[in-house]
Amino acid sequence: MNDEELKKLFSNTEASEPSPDAKNQALSAALTEFRAMKKEADASDNQAARSANSTATENTRGIVQGIVKWLRPTVKSTVEARGHTMNTTTHSGSAFSFSNHKWQIAGVSTVSVMFLAVMLANIENTEYELQRQGLTESDLASAPEFDTDHPARLEDLGDDGGALEMKREVGTLATEPLADRFILADRVDNEIQPKFQLELGGNGLLMELEALNSEPRSDFAKPGRLLREHAPMSSLRDVGRDRFSSYEAHPIKSAATDPISTLSIDVDTASYSYVRRQLNQGKLPKTNAVRVEEMLNYFDYDYPVPTSADVPFSTFTNVVDSPWRPGNKLVHIGIKGFEIAPSEVPNSNIVFLLDVSGSMRNYDKLPLVKQSMELLLSQLKPDDTVSIAVYAGAAGVVLEPTPVREKATILASLQRLEAGGGTAGGEGLKLAYELAKLNYRDDAINRVILATDGDFNVGMSSSESLKDYVSRKRDEGIYLSVLGFGQGNLNDSLMQTLAQNGNGVAAYIDTLSEAQKVLVDQATSMLFPIAKDVKIQIEFNPSTVSEYRLIGYETRNLKNEDFANDKVDAGDIGAGHTVTAIYEITPVQSDSGLRPSSRYAETERSRHDPKATEYGYLNLRYKLPDDDVSQLISQPIMIDAVDKPSESLNRETNFATAVAGFGQLLMGGKYTGNWNFDNALELAQANKGKDPYGYRTEFVQLIRKAKLAQNH
Amino acid sequence: MDELIRQAQQGSEVAFEQLLNGCYDRMYRYALKWAGNRANAEDITHQACLKLTRGLPQFRFESSFNTWLYRLVVNCALDWQKTHLRHTHDDIETADSSATSYGNAEADIHLRQVLKQIEQFGEGYRETVLLVFGEGLSHREAGEVLNVRESTISWRIHEIRKRLNPLKEGGSK
Repeated sequence: MNDEELKKLFSNTEASEPSPDAKNQALSAALTEFRAMKKEADASDNQAARSANSTATENTRGIVQGIVKWLRPTVKSTVEARGHTMNTTTHSGSAFSFSNHKWQIAGVSTVSVMFLAVMLANIENTEYELQRQGLTESDLASAPEFDTDHPARLEDLGDDGGALEMKREVGTLATEPLADRFILADRVDNEIQPKFQLELGGNGLLMELEALNSEPRSDFAKPGRLLREHAPMSSLRDVGRDRFSSYEAHPIKSAATDPISTLSIDVDTASYSYVRRQLNQGKLPKTNAVRVEEMLNYFDYDYPVPTSADVPFSTFTNVVDSPWRPGNKLVHIGIKGFEIAPSEVPNSNIVFLLDVSGSMRNYDKLPLVKQSMELLLSQLKPDDTVSIAVYAGAAGVVLEPTPVREKATILASLQRLEAGGGTAGGEGLKLAYELAKLNYRDDAINRVILATDGDFNVGMSSSESLKDYVSRKRDEGIYLSVLGFGQGNLNDSLMQTLAQNGNGVAAYIDTLSEAQKVLVDQATSMLFPIAKDVKIQIEFNPSTVSEYRLIGYETRNLKNEDFANDKVDAGDIGAGHTVTAIYEITPVQSDSGLRPSSRYAETERSRHDPKATEYGYLNLRYKLPDDDVSQLISQPIMIDAVDKPSESLNRETNFATAVAGFGQLLMGGKYTGNWNFDNALELAQANKGKDPYGYRTEFVQLIRKAKLAQNH
Repeated sequence: MDELIRQAQQGSEVAFEQLLNGCYDRMYRYALKWAGNRANAEDITHQACLKLTRGLPQFRFESSFNTWLYRLVVNCALDWQKTHLRHTHDDIETADSSATSYGNAEADIHLRQVLKQIEQFGEGYRETVLLVFGEGLSHREAGEVLNVRESTISWRIHEIRKRLNPLKEGGSK
């Protein structure tokens, strides 16, 4: 091979242009960074003075502080200390007054006391600190991570019987009063902190650690790769703390013994965005993070459009062959919400409740929140009102109710927001509702929009009490939607609970284009409910269906008897929303079922049945937004539909099937047999349709990524 | 160009954006050749953009900006590799089978193979060939980017020629 051939080889692969999306994303991330740096540079002049002040005040702190401070020579230490263990470092700085022997501790009990103090101080702030420090990639590669939230990892170390090596960034912000916290934070930014290695003997520490982990978390991830592909190098993310409730996929049920299935509809999409993010990082998502219904409902399907607002949505059923189990059928149920004409869009009274705690500092959190809010603002009418409340260490009002026509005022207050401090979610929520109430309008949709990365760790923070609170406010006419940002700390189940009880959607926003989708393209669906408490009930016909299984909707089960009970809350539909639910059924004649056939039920089945042309009967209940009494829509699911669905409807059905199949594969593919990512890819690819926004194309790419991640 | 850099260094957002906008494609192009698939190339370029942002104030016009830029991307790519190849050995090979760069598929795969082979010659060889043949840098420029002497680059190119030739005789089309 000569030079010419080599050159040619290179030029042949020239064809690919960078994708504008990725480019924009990179540029906007860089720009955010650029602004942050500029701000830091501006502030640096004041810093020396302030940091001197705060050192003086530290001396007067109490006993815990004393210990903590003893562990915290960070402020004064210099770059030379970086990367050395404390045992070996020699310091010229006179401020380093404690002697090295203090770090050599033999007795476990002494260690525990000291360790406790550090833990108390740091447990909230570890990841916050790490994010701030601007560690470079090579630092990350060379410094093993120590994460308090991974007892498993600690155990490993302990079992070795060797010294427990603890390497952590010392930041003690949690015990500082708020005012000092900001000063400290500034200092951290500009001074490189040394890492301390604490050589501790014995493994008595383990218990201390576990006791401190007061919140049981069942889903510890293995310590993941330190560096995420989309992360700027300065943001070391903690990936093990995203919380998801665990659940089992719906089992197969027998139509003979258990013919009725009831569910609440769900228009959330958070799971899909989360899954996408994980896949984009080359990892398969945790199975608990996958909710098939949210993946299904991420896409807008071209179902028949309802004609009037009296019956606010149309229902569509379609029965197709199951691609993963020959002989089985898939029953698609599609619902399309009524689209509100622009002239009929009601007014809105919106309160943005923004989490500005320290953990929101990443480029994909608060900066993205600001951009997202700006986008949403562009969708509101001039006489709508917007208020902004924030919560961090304490909750506060940033903007009193302001008409949207004073856009500059709103934007200015948005831009002023900065991240820092703890997270008092409960207090913030109360404040936001107060604001909404203050400006309550009967003729408008009153809604709180919460943007958070999931921390609700101060105040009214138990899931139950928050939930009750949100449902009470819903009954008073103030709704709640939740937008999740960032990762590493996401409290998915709390987001879901709040949104479900607040008649709102829970969406997960990982990029500006996702913000565009949720807040602009689908703004009306997000803002204006057209029906609430929408429930689906299907009764399967035992003479035609032997067994059935609902795909997804595991967290949306309803008791059969709750279907007609108007007191029982269920999902809501916004203007223009589409909702899809899929059942997999085994027809009676087919031997594709998984349940053993009953020797004695045979006779009953073969009996002639006049309704043998139906697989089942679909009932749907909903309430109009202001009603308390539900309406019923019913229609049979025919074996041979009289009106064959059009080609485009079949295409939509097939695409939904691909999504459902892919979701099930990500959950482990318990029922999908030999059907694999390649089949999903093929099916999705063939049924992309027009795909004006490119969401389906992206989905196809995700399947490819899942395939790669699986092979790794 | 220099003026733009200076303005950006002094904090002009407009200049910065313009500068980055102008650089992105070149960075991406190198990353794409290096990584062999879009997604990884995008990630690397993303990182490089951030690194550029943070590093820009330190740029002192001692070398050409171009050289500086290439050095940045090269380092980002290497860092990226370090964090990823700990988990995946054949990233490059598996990657191009599906997440292709949408280029000429056959040439693409061939290039991957050749690069893979060159990589095994030793550290720096892959970067050398990408810069010299892929980007058309002179040996001196490539040396500046990789922080080695011009003669080292020439030596590497010589080695690459020498060692790739048996490959040709060995029947690869």
